[in-house]
Amino acid sequence: MSEKLKKFWSGYNFIVVFLIIFIAYIIINGKATSWTTIKNIFLHSAILGTIAIGQGLIVLTGDIDLSVGSSFVLAGGFAIMFFNKVNSIFLLLICALVLGAAFGFLNGLMVGKFKMPSFIVTLATMLIYRSISQYVMNTMGWTRYSVDAQLSRYRALFMFGNGSFLTISLLAIVWLAVAIFMIYMTNSTKYGKRIYALGSNAKGALLAGVNVVRTKISVYVICGLTVGLATFLKIAKDTSFDPATSGKNYELYSIAAVVIGGISMSGGKGKILGIIFGTMSFTLIDKIITALGMNALLNDTVKGVILLAAVGLQMIQKRSRD
Amino acid sequence: MELLRMEHIHKSFFGVKVLDDVSLTVKAGEIHALLGENGAGKSTLMNILSGVYTRDEGTVTFDGKELPNGSISASEGAGIAFVHQELNIFNDLEVYENLFLGKEITGFGGKLDKKAMIREAEQLFAEMGVPLQPRALAGDLVTGAKQVLEIAKALHSRAKLIILDEPTTALSTSEIEHFFGLIRSLKEKGTAFIFISHKMPEIFEIADEYTVLRNARFISTGKIADVTPEQITRDMVGETFANEDVYEKRELGDVVLKADNLSGQGFSDVSFECRKGEILGFTGLQGAGCSEVLQTIFGALPSGGGTLTVHGSRGAQGNIHLAMKEGIGMIPANRKENSVIPDMTLLENTYLSRHTIDTKNPSINKKNEQVRFEGFKKTLNIKANKSDDPIVSLSGGNQQKVILARWLDTDAQILLMDNPTQGIDVGAKEEIYRLILKLAESGKTIIVNTLEIPELKKIADRCIVFYHGNIVADLPHSEIEENKVMMYSTGALK
Repeated sequence: MSEKLKKFWSGYNFIVVFLIIFIAYIIINGKATSWTTIKNIFLHSAILGTIAIGQGLIVLTGDIDLSVGSSFVLAGGFAIMFFNKVNSIFLLLICALVLGAAFGFLNGLMVGKFKMPSFIVTLATMLIYRSISQYVMNTMGWTRYSVDAQLSRYRALFMFGNGSFLTISLLAIVWLAVAIFMIYMTNSTKYGKRIYALGSNAKGALLAGVNVVRTKISVYVICGLTVGLATFLKIAKDTSFDPATSGKNYELYSIAAVVIGGISMSGGKGKILGIIFGTMSFTLIDKIITALGMNALLNDTVKGVILLAAVGLQMIQKRSRD
Repeated sequence: MELLRMEHIHKSFFGVKVLDDVSLTVKAGEIHALLGENGAGKSTLMNILSGVYTRDEGTVTFDGKELPNGSISASEGAGIAFVHQELNIFNDLEVYENLFLGKEITGFGGKLDKKAMIREAEQLFAEMGVPLQPRALAGDLVTGAKQVLEIAKALHSRAKLIILDEPTTALSTSEIEHFFGLIRSLKEKGTAFIFISHKMPEIFEIADEYTVLRNARFISTGKIADVTPEQITRDMVGETFANEDVYEKRELGDVVLKADNLSGQGFSDVSFECRKGEILGFTGLQGAGCSEVLQTIFGALPSGGGTLTVHGSRGAQGNIHLAMKEGIGMIPANRKENSVIPDMTLLENTYLSRHTIDTKNPSINKKNEQVRFEGFKKTLNIKANKSDDPIVSLSGGNQQKVILARWLDTDAQILLMDNPTQGIDVGAKEEIYRLILKLAESGKTIIVNTLEIPELKKIADRCIVFYHGNIVADLPHSEIEENKVMMYSTGALK
């Protein structure tokens, strides 16, 4: 029994972390807890959660993407401008996905093909992408990118972004659908196993026939697609993007969600399912701080402490195994 | 004048005798060749001398004083320097900084006195008569110059005895000439050298005395002038023990792999043929090019010219994926680094390669995979509990069998095995040999690269010997004798 328990703990400790935070939230929130507060956890996790899944795939290969927050904003601004021209929700989605994939491909090309360190490459594109977004907005004389409310498809878009099915927000459903697909992909496809192999032992994977360059590039493209999808969700929900604040720190929050979700930063170890719980744990911390009436400026202090605690737990587990 | 006397040295690791009553005497101004096969005890003896290991019994007298047991600083202080095969040079530091690392000359407040250090370095290089520049970046030096820098470091720390562990492996012929010139001139000034090498021509060119070790024991010592390469080789190898013959002559098929004037990193003009069902042995000293040839055939290293013919048609080069599609598989050397995916299960480690060439169906049918794996588990006798266990939970031998299963799973007809029994215990080694023979019987073509000649005697139909990146001999099974192969691979026979 203890052997099984140990295995469960090492594979699924992100659930334990989540439950501890969740129970703390329920206790602190007291009588104010309702189905609405709980389903809001899903809603408020959806956008970051979608990005975090993409980030998670990259971390599984042993690399990192610091540009997700900036690509999010850059794709968002352009997609809104595009929507205001074409007035089509479907084309908005396609546009957001294509932009996200393109930004990801650029990162992937430099990391995979030209073997530049991912930290530096994506640090650079993080600066570049957000700066372009701000510059374009500035030259247009806007203060933010906004969907034109006069358009005929505006209402339908807004309805999707704020609608729900069986009381669950549509955004959360999209997020969970992506998660289920990615769980399937990583567990049960040949491609998914290549991602793990690459992260676990890149040289070994190469000599086992894995096309390392192509796999790396593709993972960045997939991450770009999740960013593009998140962009679409954000436009539908808020109908606007502010390059100064939207997606700010998302690169760090997404990495934090991945790490709390039990994925090793050195690659090769962890589960996509963990990212779902990691993101929700992260969302809950926001809610706990609000419920406690604490100063919102302490938000990142608490998040940082929780992140350290989660990593600490994983280290203890690692040491007990070694 | 006698400089070093090691007497009756004993050493065991975990109850295994690695040195059994070994003695060694070196005089000042002498170049002493220390000889023996891999595992004979040379490195252990030198590590005891330099204080890395403690000795269980015996005495070491250096320069008239007994050396304390297992003290690196005492050995260094007495004047013993060890130049390892892997050079200990910091590429990002300048030459003089390497020279003074840890013994910097400092002025007021710990400020480095660069001028004094550079001056001293210049002086030393002038005395040695070598063209090293103190301010050059060590990383920009060619290997030969780095080797010289190592010697300079040793002299700078006032070494009276310098141990050189296979110093010429990475050097070109002209670099070797220069290097030997330097050693001779230092010898004239009274510095003694212990020279560990496998290359007979070098030993006979440079050494004065020799000592041979075999299987942890002292075998012989004397003047190089009094012996021949043949005699020394015999001392190193000993009586070729009768091999419990598992080998049986088999009918071979058509030529399936042919290399014509293949060149690449560390080898050139390599031509050979290999037939269906054949077990071809590759052997040679470290750096002789065997491993590189295999990696080039597999596409893991770029080819530098020549052609490959696989199953009658022109083979691709420099592309692992295409090589795999042609039915080539490789079990690389150094399992931990190059083949085992440590975070994955036995099953995942097995099917990984097949799935990179069989991409018809993107998803994995785990039940089918398990059935396939059970088949390999049985034929290869993999001792494992569940196919879902992590591969690192297995012993080295069983891990290697999983890697073998990986390539059988791709249905590779040509298997390149680079040192397949590395880090595997004796019993498991035997098993791997039997498997190799079994696979050859079933029609697989196998090239095995190994340093262990008795291994080849057990399994190989033919043995190709490499020396300095070239093929120097192609011996049929009946002529694979340790003595002979050793002579070829050390360059004693050409």
